[in-house]
Amino acid sequence: MLETRGEGLRPLLARRLVVVTGKGGTGKTTVAAALGLAAAARGRRVLVVETGRDENLPRLLGHRGGLVGHAGVRTPSGPWVMRIEPYEALAEYLHLQLRVPGLVTRVLKQPGFRGLLDAAPGWRELVTLGKVWHLEQARDADRPRFDWLVVDAPATGHGLTFLDVPRVVVSAIRSGPLRRHARWVEELVRDPERTLLLPVALAEELPARETAELVARLRGQVGVALDRVVVNAMQPAPFPPELPDLDERLRALPRAPGPAPRTWAACAAHLASRHELNRRFADEIGTDTGLPTVELPLLAGGVRGPDDLARLASVLLPGDEP
Amino acid sequence: MSAPRSADLLARRVIACVGAGGVGKTTLAAAIGLGAARRGRRALVLTIDPARRLADALGVGTLGPEPQPIARELLGRLGVPPEGELFAMMLDMKRTFDELVTRFAPDPKARERILANRIYQHVSDALAGSAEYSAMEKVYEMSARPEFDLVVLDTPPSAHALDFLEAPERLIGMLDSRLVQRLLHPAMSAGRLGLRLFQRGAHQAFSLVERITGFGFLEDVSEFLLAFEGMSEGFRRRAEAVRRLLFGPDTAFVLAAAASGESVAHARDLLSRLEAHGAQVVGVVANRVRAWPDGAPPLPGAGERDAWRAELESAFAQQHGDAFPARLAAAAALDVLDGYAAAVTRDAEATAPLLAEASLRGCFVRRIPELPRDVHDLDGLAGIERRFFDDAQEQP
Repeated sequence: MLETRGEGLRPLLARRLVVVTGKGGTGKTTVAAALGLAAAARGRRVLVVETGRDENLPRLLGHRGGLVGHAGVRTPSGPWVMRIEPYEALAEYLHLQLRVPGLVTRVLKQPGFRGLLDAAPGWRELVTLGKVWHLEQARDADRPRFDWLVVDAPATGHGLTFLDVPRVVVSAIRSGPLRRHARWVEELVRDPERTLLLPVALAEELPARETAELVARLRGQVGVALDRVVVNAMQPAPFPPELPDLDERLRALPRAPGPAPRTWAACAAHLASRHELNRRFADEIGTDTGLPTVELPLLAGGVRGPDDLARLASVLLPGDEP
Repeated sequence: MSAPRSADLLARRVIACVGAGGVGKTTLAAAIGLGAARRGRRALVLTIDPARRLADALGVGTLGPEPQPIARELLGRLGVPPEGELFAMMLDMKRTFDELVTRFAPDPKARERILANRIYQHVSDALAGSAEYSAMEKVYEMSARPEFDLVVLDTPPSAHALDFLEAPERLIGMLDSRLVQRLLHPAMSAGRLGLRLFQRGAHQAFSLVERITGFGFLEDVSEFLLAFEGMSEGFRRRAEAVRRLLFGPDTAFVLAAAASGESVAHARDLLSRLEAHGAQVVGVVANRVRAWPDGAPPLPGAGERDAWRAELESAFAQQHGDAFPARLAAAAALDVLDGYAAAVTRDAEATAPLLAEASLRGCFVRRIPELPRDVHDLDGLAGIERRFFDDAQEQP
C-alpha cells in the first residue's frame, strides 16, 4: 500500500511559491507539472517555471507547438509555463535598473562581456531567482498576477545550491543595487509564509542518501521552509495483501496459460522486490530527514501527459485540501 | 569495419563514464574496473560519490583521496587473476581547487592573496566548473602513474554534462580575454584605433557593472584575477595536456542513459556534442532497462486474456483447494503480467532511438537490465560486469 503521511501539514496552496528541487532524474519536472495542473483545476492562476536548459514542461501540460522559452504561454490544461533564460532575464533586469537601453544592449552584445559572463559563477541562479521574485510581486490592477508559482529548480549538484546564491551575493558584494535586490530575493526564499521548498527523491540507496544530505544543507545553510519530502516512482505493492507469496505460488503451478509459470513468477518477484526496496528507502528518507514523506506511485507506462499527471496530482494535492 | 568490442576499451589509458546524474555511472565505472582487473589489468576506479554499501562490499568503506587497493582475497573470489589489480579512490570536489591554487601560485604570497580574497572564498567551488576541472586534473595525474594500466572515471554530476570537459578552456579564455586584461591593466594605454574603440566598450561594460554592484566589487574581482594571472601559464599548459589526454586516442568514453524519454534525449544530445569535440565514444549503455525474462512480452488479446484468467483460476484451485482465493490470485497475476509487460515495452521504446543512433555511429551498445535490488554486493557487480563485457549478447 502506498501511504501519504503528509496529513496535518499546511496546504501547499497556502504559500505563494513552491520550489521543487532534487537530484537529476528524480522527476522534479513531473512533480512541478502535476502541481501546476492540480492548482489550475482548482481555479488558481498558476505559473510553472522551468529553469534548466531543456524544455519539458509545456509538452507535459499539453502544449503543442514550438518552444515556449522566456516568453511563456498558457497551456491547454490551465497553468502558464515559461522557461527562464538567464541572458534574457539579465537584460530585463539591467533595462529596468539603468533605463539606458542603448548602453545595456551594446554591452550585452560585446563578445568580451559574454565571455566574462560565461565564466562567472552564480549570476544565472541570481537572475533566475530575481525573475521569480519579480513575477511573485507582479500585479494586474488590484490583484497579484499569479495566485501560485511553482519553480522547477535546477538539479542540485556540487557547489552553490540554487537557493543559496542570494545569500552568497549579499555577503560577497559590499554595496549597490544588486546587493539590495539580492537581499529582497533572499528574504523571499527565507520567508516561510510565502515560500516552501519541496524536495523530490527516489527510494533507492544513493538518491535516499543524497536527499538526506540536501535537506540537512538546506536547513543549515539556506534557512528555507521544508515540511515534507516527495518520494517519486514508488513501485506499488504488486500483490493483494491476502496473497503475499503470489510469486511462489505462480512458480509452483504445474502449468500456466501463455508464458511459462517461471516467467509469470519472475515478473511477480521482480515487482515485489522493487516494492520492498522502495518501501525500505522511503522509510529511510523519512527517518533521516525527520520529515513526512508523500509517496507517488510508479506508473508502469511512464508519465505521458495530463491524465497521468492528474493521478500524481491527486496525491500531491489531496481533494479535501482547499 | 569490424564491430566494436567492449574489450577494446582495455587498451586505453582512460575510460570515462559519462551521462546525466542518476543513470548509474558509478556502478558502471566499478563494473568496468572489475572487468579490466579480471582481464589481467591494473585498474583504478575514480569515483565522485561511491555507493556506500558497494564500497563496503568491496572492503573500501572509507574511500579517500588516495588510491586504495581491493583486497587480493576478494579479487580472487571475483575471478581476478594474480596479475590483475583493482583500486578505488574518491575525488574530493570541494578541496581540489585550493590544491590547484597551491600548485600553480608563483609564490606563497600570491597564494595567500588568492585564498584570502573575498571573491575567491565565495566562488571557488562554483568558479566556471572549477570542480569539474579539478576532477579532470586528478585523472591526468593518476593516468600518468606507472602502477595503473588504466583509469576508469565516474564523471561529476554536472548540470550540463559537458561542463567538466569545457571548464579548462573557459577558464583560460576568460583570463585571456581583453576585457579581463583591461580590468587587470587599466594603465595599458591606447595607441591604435581598434584598441581605443575596444577600450570605450570596456569602459561601458565596467561602468554598467559598477552601477549595479556598487563600488568595491570590481576592485575585488580585479584583485582576484590579478592574483590568478600569475598562475595562468602553468594552468594553461596543464589544461592543454588534460585536453589532449581526454580527446586523444588514449581515452574512450562510455555513455550511459536511463530508460526514460528525458534521459535518452539528454544522452543523444551529449553523444553528438562529445563527437563534435572529437571525443571517442566507444560504447553506449541503456542502464536499468526492465527486460522480459525470456524473449518478448506476450500481448494477449481481450478474449485470450479472459481465457488465461479462467485457466489460471482453475490451476490455482486445483493446486490449493476451495479455500484458496483462486479468482483473486488469477486477477492479480494478470495485473502483474500486464504491468510488467507495459514497463518492458515502455523502456524498449524509450531507449530504441539512442541505441539505434549509437549503432549507426559505430559504438557498441548494451542494455543492462534493472535488477530487483540495488547493486550493493559483489554478485550484483559481477553480474553487470558480465553483461557489459559480453559482446555476443547484444546484436543491434
